[in-house]
Amino acid sequence: MLRITIDNQPLEVPEGTTVLQAAQRLGLEIPSLCHREGCEAENACQVCVVRVDGNPRFVPSCSTVVRDGMAVESESETVRAARRTAIELLLSDHAGDCAAPCKSVCPAHMDIPKMSDQIRRRDFRGALETVKADIPLPAVLGRVCPAPCEAGCRRKPHDAPVSICLLKRFVADVDLEREPDQQFTPPTGESTGKRVAVIGSGPTGLSAAYYLRQRGHGCVVYDDHAEPGGALRYAVPEDVLERDILDGEVDVIRRMGVVFEMNKALGRDITLDGLCAEFDAVVLAFGKVDALDALGLTVQTGAKGVLVHRTTWQTDRPSVFAAGGAVRMAKLAVRSVNEGKVVAASVDQYLGGREVVGVPGEFSVNMGRLDEDELAELMYGKSLSQRTTPAGGLGRGFNLDEAVDESARCMQCSCTCGGDCRMRRYAGQYECEPDRFRGTRRKFKRVYRPGQVVYEPGKCIACGLCVQITRRAGEPLGVSFVGRGFDVEVGVPFGRTIDSGLGKAAAECVAACPTGALYFDQPDDPKRLVPLRVSANTKRTSA
Amino acid sequence: MSTIDLHKVDRIIARVGATPDAVIPILQAIQDEFHYLPPEALAHVCTVTEVHPSAVLGVSTFYDQFRHQPCGKHLIRVCHGTACHVKGAELTQEAIERALNVPDGDDTDPTGAYTIEPVACLGCCTLAPVVQIDESIYSGQTSGAVESMLRDFERRQQSAGAAAPATPAGGAQGTIKICLDSCCVANGCDKTHAALAAATSRYRLPVIVERVGCVSMCHRTPMVKVVTPGGETVVYDSVTAELARSLVDRHFTPTGLWQRLRRGASNLLDVFAGEAKPPIERREVDARDPGVCGFMGRQRHVVTEHLGRIDPLDYEAYIQHDGMRALNRCLDGELTGDEVIHTVVASGLRGRGGGGFPVGRKWQIVRDAPSSTKYVVCNGDEGDPGAFMDRVLLESFPYRVIEGVCIAAFAVGAAEAVFYIRAEYPKAVTSIRHAIDQVARCGLLDRMPTPNGEPFTLTVRQGAGAFVCGEETALIASLEGKRGMPRRRPPYPSERGLDGQPTLVNNVETLANLPWLLRNGCQAFKAIGTPCSPGTKVFSLAGKVKRGGLIEVPTGITVRQVVDEVGGGVGEGRTFKAVQIGGPSGGCLPASLADTPIDFDALQHAGAIMGSGGLVVLDDTDCMVDLARYFLSFTQDQSCGKCTFCRVGTRRMLDILDRICAGEGRRGDLEVLEQLSQQVMHGSLCGLGATAPNPVLSTLRYFRDEYEAHLEGRCPAGRCKALIDYRINDNCIGCTICAQNCPADAIALTPYQPHVIDEAKCTRCDVCRGVCPHDAVDVVSFK
Repeated sequence: MLRITIDNQPLEVPEGTTVLQAAQRLGLEIPSLCHREGCEAENACQVCVVRVDGNPRFVPSCSTVVRDGMAVESESETVRAARRTAIELLLSDHAGDCAAPCKSVCPAHMDIPKMSDQIRRRDFRGALETVKADIPLPAVLGRVCPAPCEAGCRRKPHDAPVSICLLKRFVADVDLEREPDQQFTPPTGESTGKRVAVIGSGPTGLSAAYYLRQRGHGCVVYDDHAEPGGALRYAVPEDVLERDILDGEVDVIRRMGVVFEMNKALGRDITLDGLCAEFDAVVLAFGKVDALDALGLTVQTGAKGVLVHRTTWQTDRPSVFAAGGAVRMAKLAVRSVNEGKVVAASVDQYLGGREVVGVPGEFSVNMGRLDEDELAELMYGKSLSQRTTPAGGLGRGFNLDEAVDESARCMQCSCTCGGDCRMRRYAGQYECEPDRFRGTRRKFKRVYRPGQVVYEPGKCIACGLCVQITRRAGEPLGVSFVGRGFDVEVGVPFGRTIDSGLGKAAAECVAACPTGALYFDQPDDPKRLVPLRVSANTKRTSA
Repeated sequence: MSTIDLHKVDRIIARVGATPDAVIPILQAIQDEFHYLPPEALAHVCTVTEVHPSAVLGVSTFYDQFRHQPCGKHLIRVCHGTACHVKGAELTQEAIERALNVPDGDDTDPTGAYTIEPVACLGCCTLAPVVQIDESIYSGQTSGAVESMLRDFERRQQSAGAAAPATPAGGAQGTIKICLDSCCVANGCDKTHAALAAATSRYRLPVIVERVGCVSMCHRTPMVKVVTPGGETVVYDSVTAELARSLVDRHFTPTGLWQRLRRGASNLLDVFAGEAKPPIERREVDARDPGVCGFMGRQRHVVTEHLGRIDPLDYEAYIQHDGMRALNRCLDGELTGDEVIHTVVASGLRGRGGGGFPVGRKWQIVRDAPSSTKYVVCNGDEGDPGAFMDRVLLESFPYRVIEGVCIAAFAVGAAEAVFYIRAEYPKAVTSIRHAIDQVARCGLLDRMPTPNGEPFTLTVRQGAGAFVCGEETALIASLEGKRGMPRRRPPYPSERGLDGQPTLVNNVETLANLPWLLRNGCQAFKAIGTPCSPGTKVFSLAGKVKRGGLIEVPTGITVRQVVDEVGGGVGEGRTFKAVQIGGPSGGCLPASLADTPIDFDALQHAGAIMGSGGLVVLDDTDCMVDLARYFLSFTQDQSCGKCTFCRVGTRRMLDILDRICAGEGRRGDLEVLEQLSQQVMHGSLCGLGATAPNPVLSTLRYFRDEYEAHLEGRCPAGRCKALIDYRINDNCIGCTICAQNCPADAIALTPYQPHVIDEAKCTRCDVCRGVCPHDAVDVVSFK
């Protein structure tokens, strides 16, 4: 056994152990992209670097074998800065969007590509669950939302954005047309015994209550009006938002066990102090009020509203939270809905005795504007149909066929790594700035034949694992690095397809790929496919 | 449809081999045949040899030498070495492209006659800017000179086949010696040589016109040394072809009456025709000439012993000048391997390739390694732009290098030694191949003891254009027929190298030290230079210095002594600003540190490195930011692409420098650049990436004010195109030469009126400044 230290922590490891493995024994995760157990060290990504015995050089921990008495420096500021730089350098040349831009742009960060795909496959219930994971009032928003997501849609410069808002409305409407007991009602989770008062039944308050109940907290909503809905009921004209739609979605929340105490005004019928005494937490979601002073709030307020922490929405009184119009001018219902969702998460963290952090933003890279060639890459195999206009007029929304047709227009432009990207995870952990070194970016390319391996050279970090794996497997064709230096990429001899290069080793290569550069295309069940005119006008050979 | 003759490919394979490690020679031979790599030929190679398709793809796209597209009838290679860069190589390339109407983004002219290719360095740094067209090298090709170069090449094409020097049948009256190394040829030595040969054969003069090795004074070439019938030696410099007849006439008289009459009549005719021969007397070099004394006075010739005196290819001549004496002492049993290593260790000799690792210690490791198969590799992959020492040694001193290699092989117990020589040095390859043949023919190699009694072999392998292959692990990968990607050390090649066997990798100059060292002993060696870096160092002295050339100086000499005494200082009216030492891995030392002694440790301390020996002198017209950008663009282009810090890091450093030079620098750029430089330096896997930031860090250290000026939109040296304008000053007499030569029509033709440059049209090509006879064009930078 050899005695070493990692960040001054002593440990004993057997001979032949690498620094990376030794660190794992201490429960320390050193990030690494090009390392794979059972493969020869590539020493390419340099993300796993450490320093050894006071030497200023950074060495890859995956291929550094420990020596007796070795002193390893792993989590120091300098080493972490080097790892962060290595990741940021890789990101500076990364051609891909982690999340589809529509999802990033949507204030509620709804998973739009997933919804579209579910609609295309006619899984409407699944689509609604996807929607309601982020938006509790989709039928309502399907009528009032100005759809900022559609401005971000990658398809917009090709012809027109996908009609996302109407798709969302369609799955919500389908559900509301069912008998109440058939409607999707999220499970409410085991009771925590905690009770939360929500003041205000507008989009923020409804949303907060919806997500609080799902976490098992008891929830009472107070409002000074006779009916719940706030501005949605009292400020939106009925011809825009039919009241039975609003009622329908409020009823779902009611059925989840949320109690509505109507005609109760803060400062007149109830007080904040009183609620604080009765409940474990209070959420102020009363929207815009003209005379804040009249409410008798015993939390800090400013000129525009209640003062809260920027990301947790917690007030200076730890058990009191505020969101929506109570904090600042609210213009978008979808943003209010999102704030209700975030505040619910914060309240849950508070009630659970955990650190209150709200919903931390997910790390994501965005490749900005695409040129025509890049758009064509995304369009390959996608429906060529024009944006669908509902036959019954915009006010009626899509019928089933229209919705399915329209959903197939979605280019599914989010990274198909399926969330399994080590680089994205480490980039989040190391708080990387993807634009720190942003320079000339490679072109976005997607090389594949339907149902086979998909290769996106712009996401390749030149780790060399697929080259090594195909060589070891004795593939007759194999893959190789092509070119040199900054422009190096993985290619297949004689311009053949990536499938023929990877051959039988494809599965291992896909599993080994540390980013979303290699993965399998998930073919549809042909029986469930909708016949469509699809685009096939771009060249389809490997680089 | 196959458009090529695959039988040719079969013949190549039969000649070169069909094993996986033969892939690079196979591809090189195919390219020699077809001038590019036809896909059908590559597919055929995969079918009939053991070379794997992925290896063909990987290797053929890694090395710069290989072309996948057919190229024009003639290949124009524009040198972008350091010395050429500071003398305007970029403008030269643009001028050639313009002259040939090469479309933007293309490399071949519309008629398919010429393909233009930038090359990292042709190794003729003292004659910068240099351009090579097929086999012909042209020196001094500033942007205004390229038209006449192209005309000259066209003319040569039409009148191919110059007179070959004839060897006199009877006894020789005397000898005329001239160097025909690559760089001398660039300055016209081949033309002078042909003219001398013609002049001597015309009247059947019994004179030998002999090729000699490098004369080192590149700034005075073509240099000719005449040994007269009386045995006297006279040296001439700058002997152009026109002067050849005068020179011959001055020293030699035809033997027969008829020939004498012929010559007299011919000279008389010339006088009548107004073609009097130019006087040769003025070109005679006095041995006490201060220029010669200054240039030679400080030098000490160990590696370049007998400089310019013997025919480099003449083995007999080498033997007569103490050649092979050191090796013979080993082979005659006078010295054992251990004793050789002991001497090398005691001499304190350090590797001359850049790192300065103690040579003896490396030899000891290889000798002690437990294997009966060991290799010696002579690293002649001199890729640093601005350096040409190894080329000259290989061309002019091939036998000395071979002797050094054999001594090393003897000492470590290797049965095979390989010369790895850069693709851009065809003459060096020819020279070494010829020398190996001679040595083998004389039976020397048969006398080499080998571990298993197998025959000792010397082979030559050509690089294929990849700077990174100068790094020893990448070089070995290349020898094994792989992409030249370095691997992590340890294990070092001395433990596990070529084919997994212990391998000694030494640079050309290092090995060329051995014959002298063993003949004269380690005490004599240590008496030269400083205690920590004993011996001499060969430098290619180039850039803005009056007397450039190949110099060999004892270590410990100061930068100032090299620049002022050897080099004669910078040009008239200019001020010495800095020296760049060590090429892309080295740094810039400012004039204020010119008293730094040149040895491994002192240079490193000052932020430069000894490197392989490029020494480029810079004056006040050189922009240090541009220079840092130049080196970064070289290293990032040469990065193998394996590790993140080098592959992407150097590119991002270059992005920042590009931005700064374009006047688009941002606040905070210098800080990001500095931090990234540190991380690239400490995080890169091999020496290329680890030293790539040196030019940036050293210029940031000594010339930060210039960076800051660029951030404010000024280029103090007047180099960065985006930050400068051209103006006509009061010297202008309205001669219209600039207007006639301006390729952008930015100057109106106004005879006898002061000219004016239209800034909107001006492309900053520098042609007007180059052609103006009145010094009336200024470069200004203020915003």
